[in-house]
This record gives sequence, structure tokens and C-alpha cells, in this order.
Amino acid sequence: MIFRAVEDADLIRKACRGDVEAYNLLISRWERRVYNYLLRIVANREDALDLSQDVFLKAYQNLRKLDEPARFAPWLYRIAHNEAYSLFRKRRPEGDAEELQPETLAGEASPGGNAVFPIEMTLAVSSALHKLSADQRETVILKIYQGFKFEEIAEIVDCPVSTVKSRLYTALDLLKAELAPVKARGAS
Amino acid sequence: MSCSPFELRDFYFKELAENERRLTEVHVKTCAHCREELERLRVTEAVLLTVPDEEIPQRIGFVSDPVFRASPFRRGWEALWGSAARLGFASAGMLSVALMVFALSRPVSQISTPAPAVDRAALEADFSKRLNEGIAKAVAASEARQLSVTKELLAAAEHRDELERAAIMVRVAEYLDVEKKRMNIRILASNGDVNGESR
Repeated sequence: MIFRAVEDADLIRKACRGDVEAYNLLISRWERRVYNYLLRIVANREDALDLSQDVFLKAYQNLRKLDEPARFAPWLYRIAHNEAYSLFRKRRPEGDAEELQPETLAGEASPGGNAVFPIEMTLAVSSALHKLSADQRETVILKIYQGFKFEEIAEIVDCPVSTVKSRLYTALDLLKAELAPVKARGAS
Repeated sequence: MSCSPFELRDFYFKELAENERRLTEVHVKTCAHCREELERLRVTEAVLLTVPDEEIPQRIGFVSDPVFRASPFRRGWEALWGSAARLGFASAGMLSVALMVFALSRPVSQISTPAPAVDRAALEADFSKRLNEGIAKAVAASEARQLSVTKELLAAAEHRDELERAAIMVRVAEYLDVEKKRMNIRILASNGDVNGESR
């Protein structure tokens, strides 16, 4: 008998055949990451949880349209990205993409708020992140916190790789300057 | 401004191709400025990562309800159309079956070879020759048949003439015999008359 890890592709194939339990197992692998991605974007736990449920429901409904199971992660995050921006548009119908901002700042819901790390550092990071534009912040989240490649990020946010790089490096320069005092205090 | 041969931040995020990565690595070992830049990036990332992920407050899960489940036929149909590979195999299978049925039901055709170039004059001469030969043979056969029939008729006619001649000869002989008898009777009668008168 040969044992091998059940891969996402196996679960996707089973889910496509109507196996709900396989899909639930797939959700259990991805729900924490998707929730935290949405939480860092919308900065509201309830919204992040509601959006996460919507994301997995839409993903289930459209799972058969996924041609390459290996591209599941960028495909799933693309749905999450669309859901988050759809929420922003509902909240601010007249705003353009640059104005799309989460409704609350770090004090309301910053990921890791209950962590053992110094609260000052957490607040400073959250504050610095929310000084970025929505696009820049999302690029930082997808690269630093979610670990996607530039190509995958480009697929998720639907823009060229060069734009992704530009957004990320500009954001990192801003964050470097913004977080310099915190880093200095942390070092001293 | 970085002096690295390739984008230093791409190098930091491991987004360079293998050869580019090696060249940049060699450069960074000898360039203090680039090393400092990489260190700044590392510290910034480390500070950002001090805010860890949260646990999801409520697990997400779906329940399979038979009421909302499609019929097995519909699920099979959707699965077939939902997969390009399966659809491709199904199409190839159908095509194979169609080809086999066609091949088995089709009569064996003669292999047609291209018609050679024809010498029309030679063909006509050959045709005329064969026609003449055929006609000559038919005429000869007809003449032979006619000759045979003529011979038979001639033989039959000769035989009939001989029979008629023989019959005539028989009748003539009979007539001569009767006449001879009559003559004898007359002679005898005349002899009796003479004897009576003499007595």
C-alpha cells in the first residue's frame, strides 16, 4: 500500500464531483489565510468572516471553471479580492479605486492585536500599512504576509507584473520611512 | 541608487532567474552598500511580520443536502462538460467508434491506379484487328455450318432419289412382267384358235 499526502488538486477533483466533505477539507486548509488576507484589507473581523464565507461559496459554485487545479490559490484570492472591492464599492459607491479604504483603522481590528508582541509595534505597523493606498497595501499583504510570487499577485489584482513591483517597492520605501522610528526604538 | 547588476529587491524576494541570482549574489558579497540595503529590507519585513495572522473566529463549512443535489445523470453530464480532458477523450472515443463502424461497413474498394497514357491509333488498330478476326471466325463458322447442312440435305436428296428410282424400277419390272404374261396369254390364245380350225 502506498501512502501519499492528499493534495489540493485531489480535493478539487472530488469537490467537482459533488463531494462536499472534500471541499470542507479544502476550506479548512485555506480559510485562515483567506480570512487574514481579507481582515488586513477590510480591517473588520465581521466583514472579513462574511466575505470569507462568500468567497468559499463562490469558489464552490465556480470550481468546475478552474482549468488548472495547481492555480487554485491565485484563483481563490482573485475571488477574495473581487469580493473585498465589491464591499468597498457598496460602502462608497461614488469613490474611485484610489479612495477605497477600509472603514476602520488599527485600533478597531488589527490582526495580532492579542499577540504577545509589543502593542506599540503592532499599532505602528497597522498605522503605517493604512497610510498606504489600497493597491499598495494589498500588494504588501499578498507579498509579505501571503508569500505569493509577483506573477500570482498580478493575476489576483489583474494588473501587469511591472505594476505589482512598482506598487510593492514604493510601499516598502514608505513603510521603511514610517517604521524607522519604531525600529530604532526596538533596537535601542 | 543600487549598484547591483539586477534589481536588488527582486533578489531579496527570490524573483530573479537562476543566473541573475548568482551574479547578484556575487556582487552583494563584495558590495557593502547593497548588503546594507538588503539588511534594511530584511528589518522592514521583520517588523511587518510582527503582526501575525489571527485565528478565524468561526470555522467555515458546507453541508450536503440531498434536496439541492443534482441528479446523478446531471452531475455526470456536468462533470463531462466541466472537464476539457474528459470531453476530449469522449470525443476521441466517439470518433474512433465512428471510424471503426465506417471501416467495417464499407465494401473493400479496388485500388485504383492511374490510367496509363493510351495510344489511340494503336488501340483502334487493335480493335479493328480483333473485330475483323471475330467477323472472320463468325463467317467461317457460319459457312462450315452451312456446308454441313448442305451436305446433309444433298445426302438426304440422293437417298430419296435412289429410293424413288428403285421404286420406279420395281414398278417397271412389274409392268413388264404383266405385259409379258399378257403376251403369253395372247400367244396361247392364238395358238388354240389355229388348232381348232385345223380340226
